[in-house]
Amino acid sequence: MFHCPEPMGGDTTTAAQGILRLGGSSRRPRLELSHLSKSFRASRALVDVSLAVAPGEVHGLVGENGSGKSTLVKVLSGYHAPDRGASLLIDGQPLELPVRPAAMGRFGLSVVHQDLGLIDAFSVVENMRVGLFGVRRFTRAIRWRQERELARASLAALGAQIDPDAPVAGLSAAERAEVAIARALQHHEHGRGLVMFDESTRALPLQPRRHFYSLLRDIARRGGSVLLVTHQLEEVLEHTDRVTVLRDGRVAGGGVDADGITEHDLIRLMLGRELPRRSKRPDRAVRPARPAAEIRGLRGRLVTDANLSVGAGEVVGLTGLLGSGFEELPYLIAGARPASAGTVSVAGAAFDLRSASVRELLKAGIALVPERRDTEGLALSESMIDNVTLPRVRSRGRTMHIGRAWREREAASVIRELAVHPADPHMPVGQLSGGNQQKVLVGKWLCGYSKLLVLHEPTQGVDVGARQVLEAAISAAAQRGAAVLVAGLDAGELARLCDRVLLMCDGHIDRELTAPLSPELIIEAVYRDRRKARAS
Amino acid sequence: MASTVAKIGERYAILALWGVMIAVYSVLEPSTFDTGGTVQTIFGSQAALVFLSMAFLCTVIVGEFVDLSVASILGLCATIVPVLNVLHHVNVVVASLVAVAIGVGAGAVNGLLVVYAGVNTIVVTLGMFSLLSGIALAIAHLSAVSGLSASFGQIALANVWGLPISFYYGIALTLAFAYVLAFTPLGRHMQFVGANREVSRLAGVRVQRIRFGAFVAAGALCGIGGVVVSAGLGGFDPSTSVTYLLPTVSAVFLGTAVVRPGRFNPIGTLIGLYFLATGILGLEELGLAGWISDVFYGAALIVAVTVTTLLRKRISA
Repeated sequence: MFHCPEPMGGDTTTAAQGILRLGGSSRRPRLELSHLSKSFRASRALVDVSLAVAPGEVHGLVGENGSGKSTLVKVLSGYHAPDRGASLLIDGQPLELPVRPAAMGRFGLSVVHQDLGLIDAFSVVENMRVGLFGVRRFTRAIRWRQERELARASLAALGAQIDPDAPVAGLSAAERAEVAIARALQHHEHGRGLVMFDESTRALPLQPRRHFYSLLRDIARRGGSVLLVTHQLEEVLEHTDRVTVLRDGRVAGGGVDADGITEHDLIRLMLGRELPRRSKRPDRAVRPARPAAEIRGLRGRLVTDANLSVGAGEVVGLTGLLGSGFEELPYLIAGARPASAGTVSVAGAAFDLRSASVRELLKAGIALVPERRDTEGLALSESMIDNVTLPRVRSRGRTMHIGRAWREREAASVIRELAVHPADPHMPVGQLSGGNQQKVLVGKWLCGYSKLLVLHEPTQGVDVGARQVLEAAISAAAQRGAAVLVAGLDAGELARLCDRVLLMCDGHIDRELTAPLSPELIIEAVYRDRRKARAS
Repeated sequence: MASTVAKIGERYAILALWGVMIAVYSVLEPSTFDTGGTVQTIFGSQAALVFLSMAFLCTVIVGEFVDLSVASILGLCATIVPVLNVLHHVNVVVASLVAVAIGVGAGAVNGLLVVYAGVNTIVVTLGMFSLLSGIALAIAHLSAVSGLSASFGQIALANVWGLPISFYYGIALTLAFAYVLAFTPLGRHMQFVGANREVSRLAGVRVQRIRFGAFVAAGALCGIGGVVVSAGLGGFDPSTSVTYLLPTVSAVFLGTAVVRPGRFNPIGTLIGLYFLATGILGLEELGLAGWISDVFYGAALIVAVTVTTLLRKRISA
């Protein structure tokens, strides 16, 4: 059932070479994972996943956001305990699940997590060597000089010149990635083990990235194995031997030979084979002549210069790779995070986003549906009716009495229009399922008749039924005359919802995709643009 | 139906427990406990604790854990009135106004440090607790100050239907607070700030202002409470203010087991307060004087906070 990379006639991939060099005993996979499932309460993040990585192989792991890539890495690194029934063999030896940190070291597994796992307050050498410090014999004091040299050497192997004494807080995103990668690689012994990279190259510019790839090759050539989790399809095609594709927590393509596959094939595997669904929204005449909302010269932490406008009744999508700025833009527009420059105008009123407060912008009609439901979206201990009506208790209620009828009407309309279940407005929101919580969150802001509705991943983590309801409700808001901006990574959702999609790259809006939209068109544009940007 | 009964049973279990406690004490000590004097003691002498626990509620509802300074703010304010009036011959109305102003000021200092400077609540209020207790002792020259006029005492002691008027102040304050929380936009904002600051901010609530306001309101209530207490006692002994802290905190946490399970609420707090007062009085009348209040309030605090924690876990599960 595994597609182990048996050396085939004429096919001299690096993986095959690695195996040949190491002789008969290493024909068994370096890592062999079978029947792995992982559930979080009701939702299943991984379903019966199997994965085999050969010695001397660079193995790619791709999939859309939410397909389970990171969960898989977190199981392999002991962060999550898998459901019962999974088994994991390293070089034929069983490794007990859940994986314990000590066992990881013994079996030569190391990992660079998506968030890198660096502690800002400490220096590079402290971050790299914590847990490994060598000490003087009698005083038990840390041998700092030696530690610095070790850290410097690990960094140099990656082609990075970073002062080991520099505090991590002051490093650039690329340098931070280098430190994290170097830290994982210092555990690596040539000829054995497996290094996992979870989106580690995201922040690396072209030059360090080349170093990184040659380092991967070097590890593989000497018989080590690499699992490269990534969003960037050309990275997979150019720098891995085989690829495993996840879709909705299942293996959609296991151990596919990277030489015999095209980018288009990969996208098909990632999205599933069904034909692209066309926009279900009724075709609207033309783009409105006058924009309802206009954003000029916006700058933040990731966004470098964004200008866009959204017409009344229009749904505009906003996407890109993580880090391109699309995930920051909603918060800047709504005043949730301060911008370093930029203005937004809604219905004739202009606001300076450096100083405008959420409160002012809300009054002007800008509503934000944030991505992080539990920390920014809803107060889980409070009831549905209180959560839904919170933004309007001051404006719709009287100072001495909050009123009852309007609140019950709002809660009832959210329950009705978004089919919230159970339909009990007085139940604490935390007791609802994730999908129903999301409905309450979107409903909270749809009640307000906003002029500009900004949503970030509005259907994250919900099932198909809830997604349809949410998408219909968002479309309906646009039809009532709101300007709608949807930021997210879900190409299918953007294609179904949006009139046009703006693509962000390196902090600015790079391209506009117009109807007819399809998930393939959007995904291809996201990854192509990346390539173009890097070439230039 | 059965679940409704269970729900009501759970909400008012403490009332049943209260009834059982009264019955047991009445059987054990029919001569002392089962008398009108007991009712007077339980309901008539808790004014300080009612004001304190409502002040404590102000900040705990908006998510500040926990304001330890309330007892010493009240103690300072209660000391200022007799010190100004008796020792320095200031008009008693002026002295009272000064006391309330000092209470507001102390609350504002707490608020500035916690809300705007971002210092940890426990650290700031623990420091304020010691600081203000010391100042109270200093201005009173380390001893109790008495000698306030009996006519001034009437603002706390005037007999209304068999109980001192200060009892009704407590009831009115509790009901007003409960009304604000349940029925006004301000109350809704306070509860959401306590439940989740970021959610509240993104909904346009002025989070910082509400947190600061809560500290100032707590200071004001301590100030008014201080005036009432000193009037009732005819003066004040600043070294006793520390003894008010534990019953206050216990009552507020115990209150989360009543009326609205898992939530801090004024009416539950008031019930919790009288429940504790009954318990302690009964034990004292059994002859376990002195040390028993420390043991009782300490145990009650731990039980109450445990109950709160378990109930809150259930709400947001």
